[in-house]
Amino acid sequence: MSVLDRIAERQLVVVTGKGGVGKTTLAAVLGRLLADRGRRVLLLEVDPRESLHQALGTEPSGGEVVPAGPGLSIQNLQPGAVIEGLVREKVPIGYLARKITESTAFHQFVEGAPGLKETALLGHAYRVLQAGHRPRTDLVIVDAPATGHGATMLAAPGLLAQAAEGGQLGEMAAGLADFLADASRCGVVLATLAEEMPIQETLELIALLRVKLGLRPELVVANGMYPALSPGAAPAPGAHLWQARRRLNEAELSRLAAAWDGPLVELPLLPLDRGPALVQALASLLREADP
Amino acid sequence: MSGDLLQGRLIVVVGSGGVGKTTLAAALALGSAKEGRRTLVMTFDPSLRLKDALGVGEAAKDGPIRVVEAGPGFLDAALLDVKRTFDRLVRTHAPDAAAARRILSNRFYRDMAGNLAGILEYMAMERLFEMQASEGYDRIILDTPPTRQALDFLQAPDRMMNLVDSKAIRFAMDPWWEDAGRKTLALRIALKGAMELSDRVIGRRFLLDVVEFIRAFAPLFDGFRSRAEEVRRLLQAEETRFLLVAGPGPDRVPDAMFFLRKLQETGHHLGPILVNQVHPDPGAAAGREPGTVLLRFLAERDQRGLRLLRSLFPGEKKIISVPLEPVPPGDLRTLGLLFDKLSKAAPD
Repeated sequence: MSVLDRIAERQLVVVTGKGGVGKTTLAAVLGRLLADRGRRVLLLEVDPRESLHQALGTEPSGGEVVPAGPGLSIQNLQPGAVIEGLVREKVPIGYLARKITESTAFHQFVEGAPGLKETALLGHAYRVLQAGHRPRTDLVIVDAPATGHGATMLAAPGLLAQAAEGGQLGEMAAGLADFLADASRCGVVLATLAEEMPIQETLELIALLRVKLGLRPELVVANGMYPALSPGAAPAPGAHLWQARRRLNEAELSRLAAAWDGPLVELPLLPLDRGPALVQALASLLREADP
Repeated sequence: MSGDLLQGRLIVVVGSGGVGKTTLAAALALGSAKEGRRTLVMTFDPSLRLKDALGVGEAAKDGPIRVVEAGPGFLDAALLDVKRTFDRLVRTHAPDAAAARRILSNRFYRDMAGNLAGILEYMAMERLFEMQASEGYDRIILDTPPTRQALDFLQAPDRMMNLVDSKAIRFAMDPWWEDAGRKTLALRIALKGAMELSDRVIGRRFLLDVVEFIRAFAPLFDGFRSRAEEVRRLLQAEETRFLLVAGPGPDRVPDAMFFLRKLQETGHHLGPILVNQVHPDPGAAAGREPGTVLLRFLAERDQRGLRLLRSLFPGEKKIISVPLEPVPPGDLRTLGLLFDKLSKAAPD
């Protein structure tokens, strides 16, 4: 069974990595590939400055579910809005719900409670996957926020469950933590660049996921690799930069490979701007490389 | 010499994650020291390479470490660690040792204080305050946290002031469940309802942990507020410059614009904009092999980004293109070379 076969069987896939490593593009690529396999995929982005829609060539979501080709939709989520929606649902009296969501205390709580925002986002993903939900969704891919460590989001429900033990909130969070820990249903894909800092953080993240959450990434993708120069290539101006960058990429990849024995795919720099053509090209490359 | 790059007593380096802020901050700081200024660079989470380059380790988390002596000037480096700064603040400002212990052993503080929204930014601000107050430096270069919302840093003072003044805090400080008997019947019922609701939803232990934390912390609030005010003044002072580092290419321009607008709106003083990691032109003579085609694309893409940024942000501010280094600087010599390149690229 290939890595993509395995990922296609999951219900929730969290794509994580440091800012600027091509995480959003990778999430779009995975979304495209898995939708092509017949899964109904929802891609969730958590960033007030949307960019997922650019990768797929759709309108920005603005919080709504937007179709992005056969079997694929995108949605941009604001944690605050998700939590306010939950309050409105739990507190059926509109006036009271407004009173709560407009209060400073509520905002302080939302800002301050550990893991609350992240839990609300994952909770939203979980709800979308339930049988009764319309439109039906088989698989949610979360483009994890670039802020904080990638593990923060995945650890959030457990942290909140502990902090708020005994209340409904704690129970909900505990249920979600169990869901995340179920490797047959949830997976993590790491995006990185073959440069020092991103590789360092990837190694730390792999260790953290293992130690703290007992999770092992399904796949690590090294984006933006300088392709190997063909031996006969003329030493053009710029070849020095190229060679140096390629050497750096190779050295960092072997540092990663020394500590990570799981599936690893390299995706090259391509002469394409962010957009559907880039996603399509990378999707073909990832399909071919599928370990 | 270095044009506008080294203007101001405090230089705050901002930008999205992964654009090379930390390396540029270190290079600028080294240049500043060599120009004879007593300089401190404060940084978060630098790469191992950069830590090695600066020769700083764990010890720099407790206080500045001397990196370079350069005649009248020198370079110190300090690393920011949220938990340690927070603990130190508590120990320094708590009214007595018992109060400090109460906070440090509070479950909410231990497990969660480090996760509070904006806390990293707030601690950077406190650390900046400590350092700036020491007056041992002519110039401080502050590398901001590696978050996409790095401008939370600017809001940290206001946020702290809001928190201290917020109803939530007053609510927690008011012993409402202890003397509910003195309140009117209606209020008592409302409070009881609120208690039961929050008990059911949030869980009592959690609430009590938070309330206990806020109470233990209360004596420190005045100090927090006054320092927050001072840091806000400092950040908006004429002598403080915000230096924006942006990634290359048109895809990164919206990020840069976001920072620029925010800084302008909030009345902060903008220094030059450094567009980092710009691919150089491989030259017209270069061949047609796939590698050169890609390099040419990247060079052209990065120029497009620069043109776009310049057209969106015309006129008075300097937009400096910083070429991609074949090998990222890994020691003081290469950091020095990077500074020389920056100086040459910066118009006087």
